[in-house]
Amino acid sequence: MSVDAAVETKTVFGSEVPQPPQHGAAGGVMRRLNFGTGLVCGIGLATIAGWVTAIITPSSASSDTFAPMEPTYVYLAVLLGWFIGFMLGMGAFVGPLRWVVGRDITHSDAEYMAGKDLGRKRYWKYTTDHKVVGIQYLIVAMLVLGFAGLLAMLIRTELGMTWTSLFTPSFYNSMIGTHGIAMIIGMIVIISGPLGNFIVPMMIGARDMAFPRLNALSLWLFVSAVPMLVSSMFMGGIQDGWSVYYPLSAQAPPGMLGYQLTIIVFAISTAVASVNLMTTILTMRAKGMTWSRTPIFVYGIFAASVMGLYAFPFFQYAQILGLSDRVFNTSFFDPLNGGSVWLYENLFWLLGHPEVYVILIPSMAVALELMPVFLRKPLFSFNFAVAGIVGVVALSGLVWAHHMYMTGWAPAANYPFMLSTELISIPVGFLVLVAIGTFWRGTAWTRLPLMAVYAVVFNKMIGGVTGVYLSDVPADQYFHGSMFVVAHFHYMLMGAGLFGAMAGIAFFFPKMTGRFLDERVGSIGLWTAFIGFQITFMSMFVAGLQGQPRRVLDFDDQFNLSNWISTIGAYVIGIGMLIFLSAIITSWRSGVLASSNPWGSKSLEWQTATPVPLENFPVLPVVTERPYDYGVPDPYEAELDSTDQDLTEKAGTK
Amino acid sequence: MSTSTFPVSPTTGEPISTMARRSRLGLWFFIVADVAGTIALVISYTYLWSLNVNGGWAPPGATLTASQTNTALPSTPPKATFAAEWPFWAIFLVVVIATALMWFGYRSARSGNHAGLMVGAGLSFLVTVAALVFQWIQISTFPFDAGDGGYASAVLLLCASNIFHLLLLLFLGMGIFMRARKGLIDKTNWYQAQLTSYYMTWVCVAFILGAILTTFLVVSPNTDPAIFGTFKQQ
Ligand code: HEM
Ligand SMILES: [Cu+2]
Repeated sequence: MSVDAAVETKTVFGSEVPQPPQHGAAGGVMRRLNFGTGLVCGIGLATIAGWVTAIITPSSASSDTFAPMEPTYVYLAVLLGWFIGFMLGMGAFVGPLRWVVGRDITHSDAEYMAGKDLGRKRYWKYTTDHKVVGIQYLIVAMLVLGFAGLLAMLIRTELGMTWTSLFTPSFYNSMIGTHGIAMIIGMIVIISGPLGNFIVPMMIGARDMAFPRLNALSLWLFVSAVPMLVSSMFMGGIQDGWSVYYPLSAQAPPGMLGYQLTIIVFAISTAVASVNLMTTILTMRAKGMTWSRTPIFVYGIFAASVMGLYAFPFFQYAQILGLSDRVFNTSFFDPLNGGSVWLYENLFWLLGHPEVYVILIPSMAVALELMPVFLRKPLFSFNFAVAGIVGVVALSGLVWAHHMYMTGWAPAANYPFMLSTELISIPVGFLVLVAIGTFWRGTAWTRLPLMAVYAVVFNKMIGGVTGVYLSDVPADQYFHGSMFVVAHFHYMLMGAGLFGAMAGIAFFFPKMTGRFLDERVGSIGLWTAFIGFQITFMSMFVAGLQGQPRRVLDFDDQFNLSNWISTIGAYVIGIGMLIFLSAIITSWRSGVLASSNPWGSKSLEWQTATPVPLENFPVLPVVTERPYDYGVPDPYEAELDSTDQDLTEKAGTK
Repeated sequence: MSTSTFPVSPTTGEPISTMARRSRLGLWFFIVADVAGTIALVISYTYLWSLNVNGGWAPPGATLTASQTNTALPSTPPKATFAAEWPFWAIFLVVVIATALMWFGYRSARSGNHAGLMVGAGLSFLVTVAALVFQWIQISTFPFDAGDGGYASAVLLLCASNIFHLLLLLFLGMGIFMRARKGLIDKTNWYQAQLTSYYMTWVCVAFILGAILTTFLVVSPNTDPAIFGTFKQQ
């Protein structure tokens, strides 16, 4: 390269610093794009694609089994048009295209993309700054969870009104399926998205993520998937539960395409996000941050990323094969033509189980991260916590068939899977033990985040114990497909996962927004939701023990009482969550201002200013001690003190 | 500080060696996800092959010996048969050539041989185009349709995955070639060519997996398969 001649310089602190040569001019169309252009392009292209497909598809087109294919093709075209148009309109393709033609994003473009001097506008753009992406993730994930929560209220309303029916059975089924998968998606991102992006880079002392543009990509892929999921409700819906087992899935109306494409796109988003987080954590930790000095939350996010990375493709391919069955008439899951529904179930649960840990581990890690801060003592056995996380990751891929005990697939395999499932309770147990050990003789400074941790530990124990019952093959003969299973996984996903996310949000709120989350309103919301949660799901255990099957809207009168109680509990949860949400909204706008390190935490993210400057740290930090040495005398200071004393003594004797 | 002795990223100003290290790790992780997806396809293929549900693995017209067929099933008129094996290997070979050329280009860039880089990257791109064309011809001349049973489904999806990989390679190859032409890949900054070569090597593995399956696991070993009804809406 002969660019040396024209090296540009910039004056920094009075001296000329050469600037890297740029590969093209700054500016361009990228600076005009935002969420609005994304919507316009997405809707525009969706309309055109759907319209053209409707014209070129003969309305007599039908599948092998005479099912009309026109709506399927049109809906597929609309979804693909939306996806491509939206990503185009957001500017997702600008970076790759400029790479191909050798006009790399210039330095000033990169600063623009990071949102420099853009004010609030940056939240509506393809912004690369990890802090902006974190906030965007938080908002979108809360919207998804809110949508799924609304469906949950409708479901419970239907189940509570045992004397009549509110919805048609097929719409009820579609609400169940959409609620389930929307919650799963929302829960997968609610910690890794907002806190993984906003906090982790700062926690490890980095200026941004390893691949800032991929960070924006993962967010906007996620955003693009949300309308696909919601739209499916208008196309006949997802009537087959969140796991969309075959054959029901093959018989489902075109809405199933919305599910399939959502998962395909969301899996790409997860892979991109996981790669980014893992690379960031492995290569960008501050000087001196050895593995034993790396906060446990970072381990948790890393573990979730590993599991998402290796497991999500199975789910994604299961949906690709299903989509191919539906659209191209292949027969992966159709037994008449050599397909197998067990193939689907295996592929599904190969992700399905690791994914529950993708949700649980970050939540546990948040809990373990903030406990030392509020108990002012080191984490009880950091090494055990790490071993627990590593153990879960190592075993996560070996337990999936405990969801298939009763499907008739390989009965002989049930016992090995029973064993592996019970084995994985051991590392999961480590995490609970570490939490309890840390509580032991701690002087608790009970603020809102710590209260949420109490809720997490309690719920997690109940979820874990009932899981062990389910993993027992003979017991599962009775429990499988009953409300007992539903109560079990709600204790885990909601009781441990969502309450953990609430702990994390409350804890990091001052760093993310510069204000405290209102403790009074927040804790009223938290405890209301907690009490409602126990009412709802304890009585759901009872319904399950009585034998009430899941996913049905009509049931025998003997289950009425427990369903009434559950529904009342659900409304209490709903009220609690709304109170918590109102605390978030009002505190964000006008809460009490927080200093840069309001909890007196030792980890790096609290050592920089709030609001966090674009580059996080004026000077990159160097780490010299372990993360949780609260109340432990600092060896360096101790040494300094003693030398001081020596010196004074010496001075005195002189 | 001369830019040629201390190359930095035009976008972030970080040293190229830092970018290279990060990107290399990122690429390995992406390959992990890609491997997992490919394994899902391999599992699907072998699973259906081993079960032969309803005797529906082989395409209806496949000539099987008496011991390989299930006599309980109604005989369908011969319509389709297994795909020829050699095209899978031929296409694999073409992809290997494209990969070797990319490696050659990358090694040339490292040793400062700009012409070698241009030739390697350019030819690699062209050979990838050829592979895509061959792949397309193979798909459009299969002796079966998508609806002709488990084997047909599994083979078509393997080929679809191949096409997806080839399109990615086209994108990468084009990028490397264009960037080489602009002088953005050279002795001090070659990591993108290196990563492309790495990725292409993995793609070769994906192709050979497909070729192995379609050569060695053709006739299902299960001659007494389970019989189920259909679940599709009638
Ligand atoms: C001690 C740990 C755990 C054990 C032993 C365990 C065991 C089980 C078993 C055996 C089932 C299958 C029940 C059936 O369908 O008949 C099951 C279902 C389920 N578990 Fe767990 N589990 C554990 C932890 C978790 C965690 C941490 C989560 C989520 C964060 C979770 C979420 C689920 C879900 C979502 C289902 C139901 C899936 C469905 O059929 O829709 N479990 N669990
Ligand atoms: Cu499981």
